[in-house]
Amino acid sequence: MLLEARHLHIGYGDAPAVWDVSLEVGAGEIVSVIGPNGAGKTTLINAIAGLLRFRQGELRFDGADMARVKPHDYCAHGIALVPEGRRLFVKMSVEENLELGCYLPAARAAHDQSLERVYGLFPILRDKRFQLAGELSGGQQQMVAIGRALMATPRIVLFDEPSLGLAPTIVDDMFEIIAKVRDDGAAVLLVEQNVVKAMGVADRAYVLEQGRIVAAGLPGDLLKQPHIREAYLGV
Amino acid sequence: MPSATLLGQALISGVLAGGMYGLLALGLSLSWGLLRLVNLSYFALAFLAAYLTYELGTTYHVEPWWSAVLIVPSMVAIGVVQYWVFDKFKVNELASLLITFSFAVILEVVIQLYWTADYRRFETHYSTLSIKAGPFYIPVLELVLCLVAGALAWGTWLWLRKTYVGKALRASAEDADIAAAYGVDHKKLAYLLSGISAGYAGVAGTFIALIATLAPAQIWAWLGVVFAVVIIGRLGNPLGALFAGMAIGASESLAMAVMSPAWAPVVSFSVLIVILLWDPDWL
Repeated sequence: MLLEARHLHIGYGDAPAVWDVSLEVGAGEIVSVIGPNGAGKTTLINAIAGLLRFRQGELRFDGADMARVKPHDYCAHGIALVPEGRRLFVKMSVEENLELGCYLPAARAAHDQSLERVYGLFPILRDKRFQLAGELSGGQQQMVAIGRALMATPRIVLFDEPSLGLAPTIVDDMFEIIAKVRDDGAAVLLVEQNVVKAMGVADRAYVLEQGRIVAAGLPGDLLKQPHIREAYLGV
Repeated sequence: MPSATLLGQALISGVLAGGMYGLLALGLSLSWGLLRLVNLSYFALAFLAAYLTYELGTTYHVEPWWSAVLIVPSMVAIGVVQYWVFDKFKVNELASLLITFSFAVILEVVIQLYWTADYRRFETHYSTLSIKAGPFYIPVLELVLCLVAGALAWGTWLWLRKTYVGKALRASAEDADIAAAYGVDHKKLAYLLSGISAGYAGVAGTFIALIATLAPAQIWAWLGVVFAVVIIGRLGNPLGALFAGMAIGASESLAMAVMSPAWAPVVSFSVLIVILLWDPDWL
């Protein structure tokens, strides 16, 4: 497995937000984690991205013990995050945001190809490349956030609520892009409230509720479970 | 109403004096804007550098330019050590203001103990040199100061705009966690910037030694106006700091020529208040 989390406990202060979570992502896989607001999805993905330290458990990426890795070295291992709410550098231009994605020397060497790839995926960004990221629409900002992650030439891309606050047509585009990211060779871990879309694109899925994994399996099987149908699809 | 020549001369002198404001503002602007550390000790470090230049010049007859070669790197080292302290004690923005203010007061006392509270003047043969351009006189030292300040501000601006390290510093100032997620080691860059900022105080000190009369209490003479310059020029923007410094210098000088010298501080702070209330896009 490319990414292996074993019995992770993660929390802020004294209150753990995520308990005993284990999950795996294989190379070339799209794995979705669905769950309601406040279930701990962002906490989990931030810990996997290195933004947040886990208190217990084990996180391995391609065999490396990530507990020993400094937060700013997670990227060098091939982990790139598309964070919730985009978190762009809004006072910097679109192209500067993208270039930050390839800050590390290995990714920097591929700067030209990566930039062409991102502009190929999102042609509108080429036109807006000198504009401040903060001046773009929500959908365009999401494109920059995804582009920034791709500039890192990652082996796994972590998507945190990529559809949040976007118009429905743009949401469809985003999920197409997510599938394309996987087809281009990176694994994907996706955290989403949009269950239908997240299940549609995923190879496997986990259900996170109140900080614990309550179900795991193939999307088709999960969607047949009465609890999940009732809680997430309202049927 | 004063004559056009007098106004022109006031404008030139003002812009040149503003170069000093800009130079002193550089380090504060960078440290405040990009590291969120309001480092008041740069005023004291500049004066320490000035006194050292004076000492080396008067006692050992070292040319100020050679003194700078020694002093500026020492200031860089002090800046690096300062960041080590900030990092070790997890100093935040407000605490940094208080701590560096305290450090500056301590430095002031140290300077006073060694050099006494007497006024000191480092006389060099450059201090009276000036170029005559038409009806105007341009003092050479102040012109060199402005050129050096301009080169440093421009170079720093380019560095922040064009290099990966510069972009990483700006990104880190906006969102340190996300910058770290893309590999930016903020601490390493912060040491570098902290050293550079203190180094600029050292450069300012060399010129203070040549241009100003030194007294320990003079450390605080520029505090108010440089604060205004840093804010008007936008935090973290070295070119902004330089232009704001020159604009404030020019308006002070014109106010002195048209009204009276007492009006100079009124001008800089009125400009600051108006700009803060106006809150234009570029701020």
